[in-house]
Amino acid sequence: MMGHLVVRNLFHRPMRTLIGVAAIGVEVMLVIIIVGLTSGILRETAKRIEGIGADIMVQAPAAQILIGFSGSPMPIKIADKIAELRYVQAVSPALLQFNSSGGVDVVYGIDRDTFRDVSGGFVFLAGHDMEGPDDLIIDDWAAKAKKLKVGDSFNLFNHDWKVAAIVEHGKGARLFVPIATLQDLVGARDKASIFLVKCTHPDHTEDVMAEIKELLPNHPVRPLKDFMTLMTSTNIPGLQTFINAMIALAVTIGLLVIFLTMYTTVLERTRDIGVLKSLGASKVLIVRALLAETSLLCLFGIAAGVGLSYLVRAGFLFLWPTLSILITPEWVLRAALIALTGALFGASYPAWVASRKDPVDALTYD
Amino acid sequence: MPITVTIRTITDGTLDPERKPLEPILKTENLWKLYHAGKVEVPALRGVNFEVFPGEAVAVMGPSGCGKSSLLYVIGGLARASRGQVLVDGNDLTAMGDAERTKLRRSKIGFVFQRFNLLPTLTAKGNIAIAQYIHGDGYDPHRFAVVTKMLGLEGRLHHKPSEMSGGEQQRVAIARAIINEPKILLADEPTGNLDTKNSDIVLEMLRRLNKDLGQTIVMITHNPEATTYFDRVVHMRDGIIVDGVPAD
Repeated sequence: MMGHLVVRNLFHRPMRTLIGVAAIGVEVMLVIIIVGLTSGILRETAKRIEGIGADIMVQAPAAQILIGFSGSPMPIKIADKIAELRYVQAVSPALLQFNSSGGVDVVYGIDRDTFRDVSGGFVFLAGHDMEGPDDLIIDDWAAKAKKLKVGDSFNLFNHDWKVAAIVEHGKGARLFVPIATLQDLVGARDKASIFLVKCTHPDHTEDVMAEIKELLPNHPVRPLKDFMTLMTSTNIPGLQTFINAMIALAVTIGLLVIFLTMYTTVLERTRDIGVLKSLGASKVLIVRALLAETSLLCLFGIAAGVGLSYLVRAGFLFLWPTLSILITPEWVLRAALIALTGALFGASYPAWVASRKDPVDALTYD
Repeated sequence: MPITVTIRTITDGTLDPERKPLEPILKTENLWKLYHAGKVEVPALRGVNFEVFPGEAVAVMGPSGCGKSSLLYVIGGLARASRGQVLVDGNDLTAMGDAERTKLRRSKIGFVFQRFNLLPTLTAKGNIAIAQYIHGDGYDPHRFAVVTKMLGLEGRLHHKPSEMSGGEQQRVAIARAIINEPKILLADEPTGNLDTKNSDIVLEMLRRLNKDLGQTIVMITHNPEATTYFDRVVHMRDGIIVDGVPAD
């Protein structure tokens, strides 16, 4: 019977219910999309780095796991030193440059031959390998997103490049240019951001890593097969804080809207609350009824939020095809629990106010 | 079904001494109710002594502001007495906390209000059934059928309050009040919002409840004609009972 009352009450003011559902929906969607966007980008980046085919990556001391932001602080000659180590088959320097013009990309400046040696080479879908200093290799996703084809000109870092090839995605970056040209453009002559190392056999990875650590103390030396596990929001400085702040913001929006919705509900139903009290309804029953109504509102909001998340993801991917938004059941559940907890917290004060209403005042309320 | 108790009264409005039960079901002793308007204490009840016996139908009359509604709220456990004693079926309301008074209301008191006070989102059936739910025994279809038939509500059960006339709404309110077989039915000007025809219907319903089912009723009214349906009339003025002296 109480469930019947809760459902009827919820639909008594459809616009107010709709606003509550929308607020919870936006809250859930924000949590899912923010987490999905960060974890999607990280996962996709990690996958591409793993996909290079090298065994080890060497970075400069104090470099971040998010390699696109690490600059180019290492002398390129380090590659020769690493190449001399036992079990090292090939070493390739790469200069990484972050580009935010016309999209967010990390551009790899590579040496064509050594990159082929460590990675096994690109899978060419169209065009040919780098031949000139202005040649640009682009992966299929980026080519689609930027609407580029072989032979097109593309401006990057205030430099006009010619699209030499479209390759299969998954080799570290989406855009590749000759390292020497990029070094000149960014003023980093003879410098590299990372060194990619290929061992004579994957079993020698640990040995080679140990030797590199001895040669280059304080330089992070990471096995690429573990990169996926390293690329988490907790390993990126400030990222987890950003995610937490965004979740807190989303929860605050939901909480305040639910608070306002339930507070106005309680005010509007003052007389009804008086009636329930005259019938002998306890404070617990009144609190329970209002919290049940909030929970039901929240369930509708969660369903709307999950649907909205998929809609927003589809919209994002339509506009920016290279983006990766990872929606996982785990985070859908977490977002639902966060929204439900926030909503119940937001409704608890109005419910408490309702339960403490004087029945006579409530019955004579106009 | 409750045991039918018929209380015969003599023509002057007092109870037949031979049939009068020993213990009143409702009794107040020196009952005071003070309200606070800022720092000023306003007495609504000033030492009310009042008794109602099982099966009695008592009308309380008096001018506006004389304390009739305050008396009803205090004896119904909705408001706390400031001083004095209220005994309902042997339970001292003044010694009870909020939760205990709530429990007592649930099991022993039924209310009917002037403005019907039906829950607008529920149908007539829902409004009656929710009282059964709150009472804790759940929905009793037999009792429900008996009460709704007696009040002539069978055809209106799936209508919301906004789809019913005032008289119908008040009959639903009466059904809700008696569905759990309360010891006392308290009615606060139940005909105050009704036209003459519907007033007569509602008063006749209350009279039948009293005569046929032995329901104890205390009704507040302004309407002198309404008192003809009741065993006894109590007059109030300035927060006290002035029995035997017409207050209006």
